[in-house]
Amino acid sequence: MAVKGKFGRRGNTRNRRTCDEQPLDYKDVETLEKHLTAYGQIQGRRRTGYVAKCQRDLKLAIKRARHLGLMPFVG
Amino acid sequence: MTIYEGMYLLDNETVRKDWGSAKSIVTGTLEKHGATVHTARRWDERRLAYPIKKRNRATFLLTYFEIPGENIPAMRRDFELNDYVLRSLEIAVEAIPETETELAQAEQSADFIVPTPPDDDAVDEVEETDDGDDDMDDDDDDGPRRPRARRATKSKRDEDSDDDEDADASEED
Repeated sequence: MAVKGKFGRRGNTRNRRTCDEQPLDYKDVETLEKHLTAYGQIQGRRRTGYVAKCQRDLKLAIKRARHLGLMPFVG
Repeated sequence: MTIYEGMYLLDNETVRKDWGSAKSIVTGTLEKHGATVHTARRWDERRLAYPIKKRNRATFLLTYFEIPGENIPAMRRDFELNDYVLRSLEIAVEAIPETETELAQAEQSADFIVPTPPDDDAVDEVEETDDGDDDMDDDDDDGPRRPRARRATKSKRDEDSDDDEDADASEED
């Protein structure tokens, strides 16, 4: 539910996605690819819907996969 | 000692010659630096997202091992200097996955045959699957953003309006 406070709309605090059930792993390229834009950039939290911790895990997993050549840096 | 998960990209030319020797390049280096290798298995062979050391394909070796923390920088340096290992990644894990031991044992059995890696320029066969839209919203904006249509300048608009007038005139005729 959107909360309107002093600094305006705080965003949707419900329906946030977590990665507790299925931890994000750099080897699971199929899942990680879903969170890239068409140009290969990592999507933001607003787009992925992840809570902050899972978004950090996502970032780390994608960067590990990129290092190993499993995912592209660009495109 | 901490348990580490290591993923190593091996040159396919070395794998083509002999999988056992290719595997021992990694396990030998780990043991040289005082590591206890629990499991080591072929994870996959796939096309790389970008060329690494002028190779477009590589075989991935997944290992779980224990090593004293002070030996890790020297071990990483060794892998960086090794021509047969294209890339390496070591990360600390809490425990070895249960399935991993079984898969590693299956590879050690006599009837396990390591598939020969394809040529370096071979393309992976992609299965046509409907992966669906992962978006949380209903809009269809997955593709690259289309450039915005420019608003017609005033002069252009005038020209257009003149054309319309001409067209109207011709219709009247």
